[in-house]
Amino acid sequence: MKHSITLPILTAAALFVSTAHAYDADWKRGRVYYRSVCTSCHVASPIGQINPSGRTKAEWTAYLNADKHAKGKDGVKQYVSKAYRASIKSGNKAAEKFADVPDQELFDDIKSFLLRSAKDGESPASCS
Amino acid sequence: MTNEQGRHLEAINQVKGKHMLRIRRSTIVLLLGWFALIGAGIAHASEAPPVKLNTTADHSKFKELQKQFKSGPEVTKACLSCHTEAARQVHRTKHWTWEFLNPDNQQRLGKKNVMNNFCISISQNYPFCTGCHVGYGWKDKNFDFTSEANVDCLVCHDTTGTYKKPAGLAGNPVVGKPMEMPPGSGKIVNPVDLARVAQKIGKTSRDTCGACHFFGGGGDGVKHGDMDSSLAAPDPEVDIHMDATGLDFTCSTCHKTSSHDVPGSRYKPTATEKHSAYIRGKADQGNPATCQACHGNTPHKTEILLKQVRMNTHAEKMACQTCHIPYFARGGVPTKLSWDWSTAGKLDANGKQFTIKDEHGHPTYASHKGDFVLGENVKPEYRWFNGDIKYTLLGDKVEKSDTPTPINRIDGSPVDGRSMIWPMKIMRGVQPFDPVNKTLVMPHTAGPGGYWKELKWESAIADGMQNMGAPFSGKVDFIKTEMYWPITHMVASKEKVVTCAECHTVDSRLKGIDGIYMPGYSKFGWLERVGWLIALAALIGVLIHGGARIYLSLRKAG
Repeated sequence: MKHSITLPILTAAALFVSTAHAYDADWKRGRVYYRSVCTSCHVASPIGQINPSGRTKAEWTAYLNADKHAKGKDGVKQYVSKAYRASIKSGNKAAEKFADVPDQELFDDIKSFLLRSAKDGESPASCS
Repeated sequence: MTNEQGRHLEAINQVKGKHMLRIRRSTIVLLLGWFALIGAGIAHASEAPPVKLNTTADHSKFKELQKQFKSGPEVTKACLSCHTEAARQVHRTKHWTWEFLNPDNQQRLGKKNVMNNFCISISQNYPFCTGCHVGYGWKDKNFDFTSEANVDCLVCHDTTGTYKKPAGLAGNPVVGKPMEMPPGSGKIVNPVDLARVAQKIGKTSRDTCGACHFFGGGGDGVKHGDMDSSLAAPDPEVDIHMDATGLDFTCSTCHKTSSHDVPGSRYKPTATEKHSAYIRGKADQGNPATCQACHGNTPHKTEILLKQVRMNTHAEKMACQTCHIPYFARGGVPTKLSWDWSTAGKLDANGKQFTIKDEHGHPTYASHKGDFVLGENVKPEYRWFNGDIKYTLLGDKVEKSDTPTPINRIDGSPVDGRSMIWPMKIMRGVQPFDPVNKTLVMPHTAGPGGYWKELKWESAIADGMQNMGAPFSGKVDFIKTEMYWPITHMVASKEKVVTCAECHTVDSRLKGIDGIYMPGYSKFGWLERVGWLIALAALIGVLIHGGARIYLSLRKAG
């Protein structure tokens, strides 16, 4: 009985880990999306530009994990989703270019860019 | 069996039954979870598994790179164990030698030999300048240029953006433990994870080339004017070819590299291309980095034939860049337009060096450097240019006057048959020279004993000149200089090019360019009078003819 439970658990875990770790985040793609999509909205309102270097790595990680955008009115991930990209791609070249990138990959890309560009990251960066 | 024993057995059976039920439920839940995960995996797989598209080899899988590296050369040795010819290929390039022998005039150029009117030269400043050398350890003039292990593979092939070579370490990255850079500044530079960088290497990119070329002259955008960090991921307004959401050209898309040798030289630029676009397989490939290499010599295509012909006629005498780069330093990063070393050396009330910054936080004066003028969205100046450049080198005689001494003299004329009108950044400076020997000088600026720390020109120049084996009288004066930088990056979209009216007007962009007749700007007195007389004669003819027709028709009717 013990074996019959352990085996599926291990197999499932291995499968999950292998799929979860297979993607190597592309910070450069994240940079383009952040600057072209996120910044394009945050230029004017409601709170202006949000420089990646304005927060620490820990702050960015907490923000992205919480998945709360606009003080919890909606989620961050929805602005990275294929559905969102499809909705803006006629007027946004980055959304058009990355229209078919899987949601989680693009989210990881943006996270990778934000962590390296954070206040305490390897290369603190502004929006532009 | 007593009644009590029977009840006990019944109780045990009930517990057993409940336990078995719980186990069955757990198994079902786990199996459901298992199927769900497999389902998720299959769903994920149906979205196409992640694959690296910018390389055919995942270097993290190579045992040679799965170790802790203690230095850059250690990484290079691992690279060379597979890429056996790479280092010797690099050895043959300007990126390694920092030398270029101009075949036309035999001038020995390259960073190792020339001067400029920014930080002036590398003499005795090696550990700082060679942070941009594609090698490790060039700390003085005795650097071993034959060493294969000293070739730095990572600086061009890093994809992580974490590989940095701080000024002062002779081209070495910080490894092992954090380092305060510069010493005493309180700024800590973390060590580079060489294994991680090595395992993630890939093709060169705008970021890797830009790590040096965007920061020439000691800061972002300082030197070139048409290259700065805004090109790392530009929008189409900054560069239509490099537009990160569009064509997304890397530097090597145009500077198509072969055997590690990057074409496209600032010492011997291709000013005029007479051929059509290059076709694959054609033997003479020439310079692949020119506009014409892709666009040919009749690049304009419009529905209006006359307009197309006129635009292509312009391309016979004007470099593409003249119209297609209306302004440089367009990415929000200012470039230096002048640098006056003669004002350096001032101290504040406490006897300390100080800096003055503009409203954007960019220095306009620094005690150790002097005064600067910065500019953004700068309109280029225009010159006839045929690609010939002659440098004023160490030992060449110069005369102090109001006319600036050219650090580099560009050649060109409207009648030599190989010149085009080119946009230029002209960097203007005032820099130290030897008024007795009448030569420009190479001061030791950075590091211990250098001018930036001591603010003593005589000792700084003596040190730099001694290193080059060049004479120095001990006297210091300052001389006006200028240096030409042909503008070729930051190509605008076709909607944002220089308009006709910006040249064909009294206040023309091409004001002062000789050898061309530009309607709207050029004034040839006799030609203008003849033109007006013809127009007047035509008008009179029309009036007479019209009047005659009216008169005759009235007479016929009446």
